[in-house]
Amino acid sequence: MAVALPWMVNAYVVSLAATALVMAVLAMSAQLLVGLSGQPPLGQAAYLVVGAYTAATLATLTSLGPIHLLAATAAGAVAAAVTGLVAVRVRATTFLMVTFGVGELVHAAAGQWAPGGSEGTHIPPVVALPGLTPMVRPGWVYLYVLACTLITGAAVIVLTRTRFALLLRGIAAHEPRVQAAGHHTSRLLLAAYTLAGAIAGAAGALLVTVTRYVSPADAAMGVSALALAAALIGSGSMIGACAAAILLVAARDWAGGLLSGHGSTLLGLSFLALAYLPRHRLAGLFSRRDRGRT
Amino acid sequence: MSAPLLRLDTVSRAYGARRAVDEVSLDLHPGARHALIGPNGAGKSTLLHLIAGTLRPTSGRIHYAGYDIHRWPAHRRARAGIVRTWQHPALARPLTVAQNVLLAVPGQHLAALRLPPRASAAALDALDQVGLAEHAQWPTSQLSYGDQRRLEVAVALAAQPRLLLLDEPSAGLATTEVTRLAELIRALPTDIAVLLVDHNLDFVTAVADTVTVLHHGQHLTTGTPSDVRTHPEVRRVYLAEADPAKHVPTTPGATDPPAAAPPVLRVRNLRAGHHGAPVLTGVTIDVQAGRVSAVVGRNGAGKTTLINTIAGLHPALSGTEILLHDRLVTGLSARRRCRAGIGLVPQGRRLFVGLTVAEHLALPRPHPGRPRTVTARQILDLFPALGERRHHRPHQLSGGEQQMLALARALLAGPQVLLLDEPSEGLAPAIVGQLAAIITGLAATGSAVLLAEQNLALALDIAHDVAVLDRGTIALHAPAADLRADPARLHDVLAVPTESPR
Repeated sequence: MAVALPWMVNAYVVSLAATALVMAVLAMSAQLLVGLSGQPPLGQAAYLVVGAYTAATLATLTSLGPIHLLAATAAGAVAAAVTGLVAVRVRATTFLMVTFGVGELVHAAAGQWAPGGSEGTHIPPVVALPGLTPMVRPGWVYLYVLACTLITGAAVIVLTRTRFALLLRGIAAHEPRVQAAGHHTSRLLLAAYTLAGAIAGAAGALLVTVTRYVSPADAAMGVSALALAAALIGSGSMIGACAAAILLVAARDWAGGLLSGHGSTLLGLSFLALAYLPRHRLAGLFSRRDRGRT
Repeated sequence: MSAPLLRLDTVSRAYGARRAVDEVSLDLHPGARHALIGPNGAGKSTLLHLIAGTLRPTSGRIHYAGYDIHRWPAHRRARAGIVRTWQHPALARPLTVAQNVLLAVPGQHLAALRLPPRASAAALDALDQVGLAEHAQWPTSQLSYGDQRRLEVAVALAAQPRLLLLDEPSAGLATTEVTRLAELIRALPTDIAVLLVDHNLDFVTAVADTVTVLHHGQHLTTGTPSDVRTHPEVRRVYLAEADPAKHVPTTPGATDPPAAAPPVLRVRNLRAGHHGAPVLTGVTIDVQAGRVSAVVGRNGAGKTTLINTIAGLHPALSGTEILLHDRLVTGLSARRRCRAGIGLVPQGRRLFVGLTVAEHLALPRPHPGRPRTVTARQILDLFPALGERRHHRPHQLSGGEQQMLALARALLAGPQVLLLDEPSEGLAPAIVGQLAAIITGLAATGSAVLLAEQNLALALDIAHDVAVLDRGTIALHAPAADLRADPARLHDVLAVPTESPR
């Protein structure tokens, strides 16, 4: 059904769906840190924007999408590896604040020095594979983004099955225990932070593919917050984070559009509803039934 | 003799003006079985932290296998073979039992997708050594407290230690399990050195070749277990008061209220389980004013579940009736039960990390309309040690002081029935003696006390009647005096290994 979407709905909804996929990738980046390692990031949009500007700069040389994607991934990783040195020295709420600070600095730096300044910069349509024509129709863009999202998602899911991921979960549960097993936990967290930055960078390349435009506004705190919220709603699962990101974008942009611009109201309400309704309420119902049965 | 594996050279660690460890020197050779004993607050756990690298010494040197390691971070020491356990289980609860062990198994690649068969075999082997192999796939949070303690040991063994630091390995284990643990430690390869801290002197004697006694952070003496037991200074600071004859209340029968007095707390047909698996299948017990009722049983028998279910922290299954003074409290929340007069001292103390002693004591308020009121001053009279530590936070207190604080906090709410979950865990014999005197004193002033205890000797000492929990129900319920006269009865019920009623 996800593949058939371009033939089922109008072009506006298709481009929204592509944006939702970009947010899903960013949510996976946040989930790697909060769901696996227990450290909540509030600055993932910074690496998204690093990736997006990398892709936009490359677009003057080549319009080949996969090259943009790889370069943006590498740029996101490098940016995260450098800024992560500050972030992984602290934990929990302080980590949240430090990553927020890094995000805001990148936001400000993009407005100051990035090509196009605060106006942002436009890029021509991207080519998916050599020999194909540039993707102008939203349907093709959507399918390209869907393919890239699936590839990224598969890579992330493989990552969550490694021993590295088990150690990250150990750090989330009890860090001294992992240290006592002989691991430099800050280095492990830096590796996780770098990988998360790479994923966010990839999301940035996909973003410019969808919007053909990048501006410092893409590094806004709201984008990071949406990614973190999606990860938290997804409660530890990558698929859950992706689903939550898609739902949140739908609530903000699509249903909000129908309600004549009350997108952020709806977004706030859906945060509350998602936090209270499904897990806690339903879990309560189930446990009560358990009690009655035995 | 060969060079020592570990050499502590006048190591000190100060917290402000207080010196938790004061110029301690110690040598450990490969194959050593060395125990550290001493009253609570003697600096035993701090010394283990200094060796493991979770704390840095303020002065002194630590040499390990020829290196000066006193600046090494904890993970580097772990890689060099220094492996430790924690006093309270420090496990990754969301993970399974096997995953907890696998975290520690060395020699695995970070990017490894599939578990190397060697690693999973090593993990299973470690679990098998402590008798947890059949629980390998359980979530760690579902293990009983004693099983979590055993898992701690398995995790340490799986890390292939050269120097094994065990912080109170026998705390919270039943007698048969303590014997098994002692055999396990003795049977470890002779190139592993073991340094352990424990309060169970029988266990220490069974395991250790050398015993070091610490007192107020200072080295008191080192010798064989029997040397140390006869050392006059050691007897004075550590053992003398532990002599049961000194703190046993006068014949409990003399202070007994008439048996016909109506019980304060009545528990009828209490049933509870964990995730659908029944743990308690119909427990009936009465607690009367002025009496101490003890519940004993093996690990996993459900003692903590029973206490928590009465306190309202664990859901009771249908059919359960808990009555406080003829008032049904089964449907009430934990907060309302506390107001109604059920006081709880939970296992592991559960103190508030950031609050000082004074703040802990300022928190509880007896519910207005309660006949019995207690002031903080009266409490501090009961626990003089706390008065001197009013501005300290829990991590600055010794285990004994923490237990006193947990007890004081519960007493301030003016409970009518006091639930104590393993109060003697991790306490030095002398402190256990003080604790026994305090509990007996509370009962003598009319409190009803329900005590869940692994320490049989203590339970028999201070309880008026003893109930044995086995297979989810009360297997034996008798006056403590009868059981003291005929200990074999109790051992028959407790020592026979039975199917775990999970």
